Amino acid sequence: MAVPAGFLVISLLLSCFAATSYGVYFSSLKETLEVTASPTKGQVLKAGDDKITVTWRFNQTYSAGTDSDYKTIKVKLCYAPISQKDRSWRKTVDLLKKDKTCPHKIVARPYTASNNSFTWTVERDIPSAVYFVRAFAVNAEDQQVAYGQTTDAHKSTNLFEVQAITGRHVSLDITSVCFSAFSIVSLAGFFYMEKRKSKASQ
Amino acid sequence: MPEIEGSPGTSMHGVTGREPVLAFSVASPMVHMDHNAKFDLPVDSEHKATVFKLFSFANPHMRTFHLSWISFFTTFISTFAAAPLVPIIRDNLNLTKSDIGNAGVASVSGSIFSRLVMGAVCDLLGPRYGCAFLIMLSAPTVFCMSFVSDASGYIVVRFMIGFSLATFVSCQYWMSTMFNSKIIGLVNGTAAGWGNMGGGATQLLMPVLFEIIKKAGATPFTAWRIAFFVPGWFNVIMGILVLTLGQDLPDGNLGALQKKGDVAKDKFGKVLWYAVTNYRTWIFVLLYGYSMGVELTIDNVIAEYFYDRFDLQLHLAGIIAACFGMANLLARPFGGFTSDYMAKRFGMRGRLWNLWLLQTAGGVCCVCLGLVNSLPLAITFMMLFSIGAQAACGATFGIIPFISRRSLGIISGMTGAGGNFGSGLTQLIFFASAPFSTAKGLTYMGLMIIGCTLPVSLVHFPQWGSMFLPPSKDIVKGSEEHYYVSEWTEEEKQKGMHQASLKFAENCRSERGGKVASAPTPPNNTPGHV
Repeated sequence: MAVPAGFLVISLLLSCFAATSYGVYFSSLKETLEVTASPTKGQVLKAGDDKITVTWRFNQTYSAGTDSDYKTIKVKLCYAPISQKDRSWRKTVDLLKKDKTCPHKIVARPYTASNNSFTWTVERDIPSAVYFVRAFAVNAEDQQVAYGQTTDAHKSTNLFEVQAITGRHVSLDITSVCFSAFSIVSLAGFFYMEKRKSKASQ
Repeated sequence: MPEIEGSPGTSMHGVTGREPVLAFSVASPMVHMDHNAKFDLPVDSEHKATVFKLFSFANPHMRTFHLSWISFFTTFISTFAAAPLVPIIRDNLNLTKSDIGNAGVASVSGSIFSRLVMGAVCDLLGPRYGCAFLIMLSAPTVFCMSFVSDASGYIVVRFMIGFSLATFVSCQYWMSTMFNSKIIGLVNGTAAGWGNMGGGATQLLMPVLFEIIKKAGATPFTAWRIAFFVPGWFNVIMGILVLTLGQDLPDGNLGALQKKGDVAKDKFGKVLWYAVTNYRTWIFVLLYGYSMGVELTIDNVIAEYFYDRFDLQLHLAGIIAACFGMANLLARPFGGFTSDYMAKRFGMRGRLWNLWLLQTAGGVCCVCLGLVNSLPLAITFMMLFSIGAQAACGATFGIIPFISRRSLGIISGMTGAGGNFGSGLTQLIFFASAPFSTAKGLTYMGLMIIGCTLPVSLVHFPQWGSMFLPPSKDIVKGSEEHYYVSEWTEEEKQKGMHQASLKFAENCRSERGGKVASAPTPPNNTPGHV
């Protein structure tokens, strides 16, 4: 019985390892897209209010036919290294399946070589952080085949900031105070009434 | 008394063949029943119930049970409500990894202090007031989450909400006043275990509330704040129910009984002294830190561990995390049950061995949890670990009521505080700012559990023995009365303040175990051949 059990354990472990190492690596992608975004360097955008205009096109210096398998362009908002520090849930990993650098989708469009642009209002669930924009070219099997980004290879230039909404509201604050007051007052009331009852019964 | 109690031939246990085998009820003549008392359940001479009827709400015993465990459940929901929502909160408040870790430590640290205070409050004012005051005063702290806008505010609010975990002490204390010592292991284990389930229930409840509120139109960064109103209102409602429906003791409320003179008023300084100078208290403070403490730590880190290590989606990681906490439904009562079961045959020695076995097994599974790389194995070891640790919690509180009668409240409080201290310590050492990965942290924590469980072998009761040593052969020193009455001075005994301890001593003679069916021969009856 020990042998089949051991075999089962080992095959489970191997299958887990096998599954995780299959996929596209970012370092294998070519930067064939030119992407620009409207925010200037260091600009602070307000979530829910301000807009970003993204434009992208195929870099013509690459030979024609390089973009033959590009089906869709997915444009994403990505964290700059400073906003990834001490935050392992935003880590950059080469295997794109596990990469958490670019979680926020801006737009997905069918691929055309030029004249692409999109204006996006920064959504209200975007957290306060420093960002850049990256676009992935995706083939028919939904695998990334190329990319372009608004910053350099070290992700240090052309970064902009988003200031998130607080999520707080005055009405919420007032409700909170009222509920708290109810709790304290009813407790005091009960206590006082019980003390009075016991004094009266003496 | 016509016959010498306990002498061979007097026990009627098993004679009719209809006595129940398991510890759901007490039917041995070693427990002095009071048949004149008018309660729904059969009671002993202290009017504590000797039967545990789970689905009854009869006043006072079972009603107390339900009020007690549900209030404790509510505070667990409030304290760990933030944990499953951390992925949203960390984006809203711009938290770093160490902010999140520190908040986790803060959430369990507040109650170190409040559990100590609650022990004293229960001894002096009664568990009903203690429980109600605490949960109604901590409701505002839960509502305060709507004001939080940065890391420091978040840490402070989680710290303040954490104070409410002291309801654990009032819960256990209240059970000890209502239920006989033969079934106290099972009763305490069930009440605390079902309360602890709140840590699991909240991992399911809060994400669901969050989704509903988001669907109703709120943005994520507002929705999670609104979601916190629900645990806050649970606190308020339970507080009101406890005040209106609960009572401290089977015969009434503490204040009224103290005025009538039925219950002696005790001095805090004395109660504290007898708790602190009993070495067993400190051993259990340490032990509980590595059963309950690690359970609280896991409540805070496990969802994130599965999310990151195995790349699960948030709701799936939450479901697995919930399973850990929900195992309390059966695991902790199981620990109390095995404690009572071992006590039937082996007495207190059985209880001690039971505790050591369960807690060490939990530690071994924790070591394995950190080592395995596959998801099914990790879940398996996590569940085995949860059963071991939670059953050990139940087994611990199967023993605590016997350490002292006078200072039960403070000892429960200190042990409970030890649990939280252990949690804060393990989170600090192994997770919050650790240089190694969470997986290694789990393994090291498992090793520490195994090491810190060894001191249970040092716990020795003169009347019952310890894991390796037999009880004292001295007739006087080896009696339960001597142990419990030694907590009172001569003047206090003259005032009759020790009567409750005497009653308790006679009711807990069953801790000698099944083989020792006869009580020691009374001094004025020496056998001829000696």
